[in-house]
Amino acid sequence: MLAAVPLVGIVELGLHVKQTTSDIVPDEDWLAARDAVKAKLQPDDLVLFAPFWADPIGRKWFGDELSGIKREARPDETRFHFAYEVGIRGAHRAELEGWKKVEERSTGKITIGVYENPSFAKVRSDLVDLVGPDRLTVARIDNGAEVPCTWQRGPGQPGGLGVPQGPAIPGDKFVCSGGATVGVAVLHALDHHPHLCIFATPMGAGNAAVRMRFAGVTFGASLHGHSGVQWVNERTPSPERITVAFSAFDRPIGQNVHRVGAGWTGFEFPTPELVGKKGDLVAEVSGAGPHAYCFEADTRDGAP
Amino acid sequence: MSEEADAKEAKESDAAAAKKTDAAEEKKDAGPDLSTRLRAWVRANPDPFIGGGIALVYVIWLLATARSLGFSRDEGFYFGASSDYSRWFTMLLETPSKAIDRASIDAIWTNNHEHPSLMKSLFAISHMLFHDKWKLFDDDSTAFRFPGMMMMGLALWVTYMFGTRAYSRRTGVIAAVSLGLMPRVFYHAHLACFDVPIMAMWITCIYVYWRADKEGGLGWALLAGVVYGLTLETKHNAWMLPAVFLPHALVVHGQAMSRHAARSSRIPVPTSLVAMATIGPAVFVLLWPWLWNDTLPRIQEYVNFHVHHEYYNIEFLGQTYFGPPSPRSYMPVMIAATVPTITLVLFALGAFDRARVLVAQLSVWAGEAIGRRFSWPKSAPARDRQQTDLLVFLAIAVALGPFLLPRTPIFGGTKHWITAYPFLAILAGRGFDLVWKRVELLIGRLLVVRSTTDAATLDGTRRLVAQAAVALVCFGGALAATVHSHPFGLSAYVPFAGGTAGGADLGLNRQFWGFTTESLAPWLAENSKPGETFYFMDTAWASWVRMQEEKRLPPLRGVGSPADAELSIVHHEQHMNEVDYNIWTEYRSSTPAYVLTHDGVPIISVYRRTHARR
Repeated sequence: MLAAVPLVGIVELGLHVKQTTSDIVPDEDWLAARDAVKAKLQPDDLVLFAPFWADPIGRKWFGDELSGIKREARPDETRFHFAYEVGIRGAHRAELEGWKKVEERSTGKITIGVYENPSFAKVRSDLVDLVGPDRLTVARIDNGAEVPCTWQRGPGQPGGLGVPQGPAIPGDKFVCSGGATVGVAVLHALDHHPHLCIFATPMGAGNAAVRMRFAGVTFGASLHGHSGVQWVNERTPSPERITVAFSAFDRPIGQNVHRVGAGWTGFEFPTPELVGKKGDLVAEVSGAGPHAYCFEADTRDGAP
Repeated sequence: MSEEADAKEAKESDAAAAKKTDAAEEKKDAGPDLSTRLRAWVRANPDPFIGGGIALVYVIWLLATARSLGFSRDEGFYFGASSDYSRWFTMLLETPSKAIDRASIDAIWTNNHEHPSLMKSLFAISHMLFHDKWKLFDDDSTAFRFPGMMMMGLALWVTYMFGTRAYSRRTGVIAAVSLGLMPRVFYHAHLACFDVPIMAMWITCIYVYWRADKEGGLGWALLAGVVYGLTLETKHNAWMLPAVFLPHALVVHGQAMSRHAARSSRIPVPTSLVAMATIGPAVFVLLWPWLWNDTLPRIQEYVNFHVHHEYYNIEFLGQTYFGPPSPRSYMPVMIAATVPTITLVLFALGAFDRARVLVAQLSVWAGEAIGRRFSWPKSAPARDRQQTDLLVFLAIAVALGPFLLPRTPIFGGTKHWITAYPFLAILAGRGFDLVWKRVELLIGRLLVVRSTTDAATLDGTRRLVAQAAVALVCFGGALAATVHSHPFGLSAYVPFAGGTAGGADLGLNRQFWGFTTESLAPWLAENSKPGETFYFMDTAWASWVRMQEEKRLPPLRGVGSPADAELSIVHHEQHMNEVDYNIWTEYRSSTPAYVLTHDGVPIISVYRRTHARR
């Protein structure tokens, strides 16, 4: 047995040679995969890369058109009809668990799996898309007094050299009294994944709330959304609760209470009585205090 | 201790050869000249030169690869501190009275006083001599880094000497080779940091203590005291060394101490320990000017800094840890994933062999104590007065033990227990000994089959060649992996763990310290314009400035935020994802212009602003 130990060295060398040469995915394979996906991809389809660590390479080759922020920093996968999983090393994304594989093909060392969403829900209005002076008004509520927040376009504040940085403050945003801002940015959530959402933060001490009125929202069978707090805040659970309450046509739809420490969590409120209607949707965030709170929501077909 | 016939044979044959030479020389000339005697001495004592040769080759390798390795965050801070200390050394030479004035000391030595002064002083002196004065190195950084590289040379030399003296010359050679062919060690050995230096001083201190115990006499004991002081002055790991020495001394000298104490009411503590307890702290204070004033409060401050050190983020198995409890599996998993597997297999063999001897000794001792004979071992193992095996195991256990405690921070990756590696390598060398004996037996049998005689063996040269071939077969993978890991040493995982991609699959940390920025140089040279603004993320400002001054990167203008930059980068670590996402928000794009990879695994993403800045 002892005399066989040098074989370990031989295997080690063999594995090393394989891992540093033939296992590496060449650029041509990525380009071929991109072209294959591009030929079939529809607006309601998702592109994702497996394993997650290969994501930067995938984004580089697929570009914003195929794997831009909306797809990369999605709230979840339910809004996508089909998913194109571009995988290497036999990896598979857990998010597609339960999806039906309808096609698979290879481009060199890359496997493209096409999966169908068993519970696809068509999005009617995405609140993230409505953030801006045309469709959204924002006000800070302090002890019942409502102070309008103003829309500003300017340079963003995406952090400095220190880590953790805190979330980026987008250049385009509503600025409220007391320094609070409302704008769209990508949240680094507790799961370390990106989520494009509406930051309503920070509200500072006291009972301040921020009220957002989204105009011209087309309602569906449900209001579907998520909430989260910047990961560094979130990873130390606290008893604090942050609430986002939704209402439309002067009637409450529902409210989500986010517990600091819960991570990026989803909520859904049925709105069968609003199906097909178009009007204002009001979202009021309270209890955020110093936290970098972020939420997103959409109206969609399909009841929860 | 040495049960190795090979080692004895080798030494005896060397000594015999030297004697013969001496005799021949004496016949020619009654009084051989100095060079003749020197040559004879070298032939009789080849080990320091063999070890020195290994160390020299390795240091040359480090120097040859230094230019392509970017500067880590900590190096940036130490370059700055060492430059400050240079001013003090100059002042000490020119106006000594001013230099030892408290105001001068505090103005200079307060910088980076959370770490002792030895290495930073050596970095400074090396820079003053090898860069400024003698212009041996073109790069300031190489001059700063040189003492760290020399410390790696020292570590290899002592590892070789320890392995050779304790077990066999073959053990020594393989121990040094194993230590040098660890990709993480190779990376750290380049740096103007303290991790490889403390590894070198840890084994040097233990080696000198062992020699002091073996040789006796005041000289070795005093040396042990001085070396312990230097170890204290290198890094705070030295605080743990008493946990190696005291139990070992108790086992080796316990009986004698108790007998002596019973007779004379005095406990005779080994001189080396007394020296370490007295000379050690004196050297520590003497070499660190910051401690010359307010000594005790400042020592307290130094200790408090490390005892209450903040926890940094580090990914392990897909989870970022940032505070206690640290996962107990971290250290064993990281060792398995980063130390070449052949080294670990040989270590396991060597450790099992030596542990068996230790247990056999314990069994014999216990049998003698209770007046009966156990069925195992059949015969008592060779007596080792120095209890070398125990010392080796203690050196490993004390270095690794704290990483099984839940409150020990793990952010340093493998470098924080790097002190265990020379001893791990020595046992790997011992394991190779066992393997070689079996291989030699096998070769002998094959030769018998092919020859007409029934006692075929390899002659000296063929035996040496065969040993080298077996060593090459064993360590070819480790050599290839170590060479290939550069300059991404912290991203490298061993082939049995899947290599760099395997590490990424397992969710193991891919890098820290932001040193990989320099590896963007070829792409930046092609894709950036001079003076363009560049956000360099985790690279320390001082490291960035040094890279620019040494023209390791194109002439970009470094800025502190993606908001101010045309080009922004993110070093891929799980907890750095926020930087990535913040750049998406700022640049309104998630598409990198370039992704620097190692074996297909993203190391850095580079983004270029495509929308006009507001």
